[in-house]
Amino acid sequence: MTSVIAEMAANVWRVLVSQGQAISAGDTVVILESMKMEIPVQSPVGGTVRVVAVGEGSVVQEGDVIAVVEETSGDA
Amino acid sequence: MAPSRGRDPESDSPASHVYTYEGPDLRGHAEALAARKAQFLQMGGPDRIAKQHAQGKLTVRERLAVLFDDASFTELSLLAHHQSSVPAMQGKVTPADGCVTGVGRIDGRRVALIAYDFTVMAGSIGMVGELKATRIRELALRERIPIVWLIDSAGARIQEAAGSMFARTGDLFREQVHMSGVVPQVAAVMGPGAAGTAYIPGLADFVPMVKGTSHLALGGPPLVKAAVGEDVTAEEMGGSQVHTSISGVADLEVESDEECIRIIRRYLSYFPSSNLDRPPIAGSDDPPDRRCDDLYDVVPANPRQAYDVRAVIASIADHGEFLPMKPDWARNLVTGFARFGGRPAGIVANQPLMLGGALDVNAADKAARFVWLCDAFNIPLVFLMDCPGFMVGSAVEKQGIIRHGAKMLFAVAEATVPKVTVVLRKGYGAGYYVMNGRAYEPDLIVGWPTAEISVMGPEGAVNIIFRGQIEAAGDEAARAALRNQLVAGVREQIGAHIAAGWSFLDDLIDPADTRSVIVRGLEIGETKRVERPWRKHGVLPV
Repeated sequence: MTSVIAEMAANVWRVLVSQGQAISAGDTVVILESMKMEIPVQSPVGGTVRVVAVGEGSVVQEGDVIAVVEETSGDA
Repeated sequence: MAPSRGRDPESDSPASHVYTYEGPDLRGHAEALAARKAQFLQMGGPDRIAKQHAQGKLTVRERLAVLFDDASFTELSLLAHHQSSVPAMQGKVTPADGCVTGVGRIDGRRVALIAYDFTVMAGSIGMVGELKATRIRELALRERIPIVWLIDSAGARIQEAAGSMFARTGDLFREQVHMSGVVPQVAAVMGPGAAGTAYIPGLADFVPMVKGTSHLALGGPPLVKAAVGEDVTAEEMGGSQVHTSISGVADLEVESDEECIRIIRRYLSYFPSSNLDRPPIAGSDDPPDRRCDDLYDVVPANPRQAYDVRAVIASIADHGEFLPMKPDWARNLVTGFARFGGRPAGIVANQPLMLGGALDVNAADKAARFVWLCDAFNIPLVFLMDCPGFMVGSAVEKQGIIRHGAKMLFAVAEATVPKVTVVLRKGYGAGYYVMNGRAYEPDLIVGWPTAEISVMGPEGAVNIIFRGQIEAAGDEAARAALRNQLVAGVREQIGAHIAAGWSFLDDLIDPADTRSVIVRGLEIGETKRVERPWRKHGVLPV
């Protein structure tokens, strides 16, 4: 399991994945918004999204978990 | 008294007073000396060396072997040891007095060294060790060569120093201040740096810290407990994470002693030996006119979308190489060293990924400090501008954003090294000034086609200028539509083609040509001389 972490305090503007969805490494999981700027947050690994911990309009702090991805074996 | 048989008939010295040499021959002396040196090279002995290794640290002598070019180190006063007559010091042997000093070479250039040996009385600063260090500071300044400290020290040696003899100490910091901006100063924290040894990095130019083994604090945990009642570990109070990401005291967190030493060598490769020289130009087979097509996909044209400016730097610098300074602190601004056509340069870049690239108190501090460092040592500056301005609001005003912003402005305005400015996207308000806008003496200032230069962003401007009109526009949807239309109109006015049309920007460039334009800009400023009115020094906003 790999956590996708918020690098900074920001608003969650768009959530682009849902639980159970298969994603590849580098796919954008959410788009944060801070200082009128859209900041895409990518998954470091490919696999299946097990948890989406935020919703659109919620606020994250630096270090918060945004989502948890279960890695697909052989895909790293 | 026996009758005299001496050479002097007047003397009454007996013949037995003629000196008979019974010592070893010169070879014997040499062997004895070698044995004594070998003993001193054993530092604090096998047990303490094992302990040093168990902590994941190299010994001071292993560190030197990695730091300097092969066999280039000349040690001064290996044979020094403590001379104290206080009871607490009797019977103690302190090889080199816990402080290894000398001169070695890095990339063929001389560098002075003061390295504390934790295996000898915890690397504490004794009186003899400090005499040795004084000699090295004098030497570095006299020869105009860089000085490196390897800090692994409990601070002042209390056994020797307790008492009001302290009244005549403190030269080390004053001398460091006088050396500042004359010779490069590196203080690597490779173990504890407590109290006395904490100010050495505080006054140095570059401070790497080894993760897990190093810490810096004015008072260690026992002193803190006694003085303010706080229970805290050395790591929590002054570990590498604290100082590289929260306090901003240190510049880089490194994983190991070996990496720390490699980083010191790399850092110095960008620097001249002193402020009298120019930075060394490295051979580079990365073509100066290499196009950077990848930038088309790195930087979104939409000003609302963020990107990582470090990818821009990796694209334009020689071989993509960049040595960041304070990368984990004030991450909304990126500072560090790179080369363009072999020529070293300091890069100051806004980071849209953090706070949209807006400047806050720490980013301003970080920039000012870095610009002063480069300017002191004749290292040209490259500004990559994408800045919506300074943060506003009561929180930053209470932190003194005006004071800190003034400091960045001061440093940038003062810098007389060659300066090249590239406006990638936003240059709003004072953000445009402090990122070395046209008024701040750039030798070349260019914009990308996406550059927008304005006293403030279009959204802010529209909300102020057209507030009445927007409010009168009707329902929410109508107001939003009018606002968008007005913002587009203002955006048209702040586009860089107008500034270029006025000749306020020297050129608008294809983003893929950014590297070659920077190389040309640095060449334009190659023989730059700036005369300012005489003054003792400015009054620095800090």
